[in-house]
Amino acid sequence: MGRSVWKGPFVDGYMLGKAEAARESGRNEIIKIWSRRSTILPQFVGLVFGVYNGKKFLPVQVTENMVGHKFGEFSPTRTFTGHTADKKAKRN
Amino acid sequence: MRSAVNGAARRILLGVIGRPHGVRGLVHVHSHTEEPADLTAYGDLSDAQGRRFLLRWRGAGVAEITLRVDGNEVKISDRDAAAKLTRTELFIDRDRLPPADEDEFYLADLVGLTAVDKTGAELGTVQTVHDYGAGASLEISRNGNSLVVPFTRAVVPEINLSAGRMVIDPPAEIITEGGAA
Repeated sequence: MGRSVWKGPFVDGYMLGKAEAARESGRNEIIKIWSRRSTILPQFVGLVFGVYNGKKFLPVQVTENMVGHKFGEFSPTRTFTGHTADKKAKRN
Repeated sequence: MRSAVNGAARRILLGVIGRPHGVRGLVHVHSHTEEPADLTAYGDLSDAQGRRFLLRWRGAGVAEITLRVDGNEVKISDRDAAAKLTRTELFIDRDRLPPADEDEFYLADLVGLTAVDKTGAELGTVQTVHDYGAGASLEISRNGNSLVVPFTRAVVPEINLSAGRMVIDPPAEIITEGGAA
């Protein structure tokens, strides 16, 4: 059973203030979080979070498409980096 | 992660020949390209000994192999010959990859670059490029310690592939109050 709609999305409360502070500062900042369970809210779009995966804080650049997902989805705890071959990375 | 670049010739590992399939010389091929079917799009591939192979897909992950020897084409047509090629690694020269778009970089080019900060002090070497759907990030390691930074213009303002270095402006870190609770 899914979460009741009347409760709204879950997010650890302390993240809201930090996100707001990071947005207002406008500096090149990464917000380190352990809260993998928190839902990505629209006000997080454009910010970069470092989401802990048990070993490292993996940078998560929040985009509109990620709203509604959990932070933990973008910071896997078991990683296979694979082969580079012809794969490319875009600098945002 | 196994390095995909093989020696000074800048050859990139694109795939590996697997076990034989059937009795007519077909083989399973493990493609490492972004789109697995693109393995055959680069033309001839070569192995570590310099032998040249031409692959044609004959099914999902199954290919027919033609060996090019002194300008002649020798098709692998029986299972025993195909079995001898098992675990053969297939490389391509880096120069044969199409140029990347603006602000796009081949991972093979990024891995191994020296990372320096704005003052020129060395931060380490790019070990891995992560991308789990939330933008690429670079893992820079030095003396066993690693630093993971987002691959953005703000953090990586300058990349000089010919010089083998990139400039990193590490972002300030905000630790959340909730901590590890």
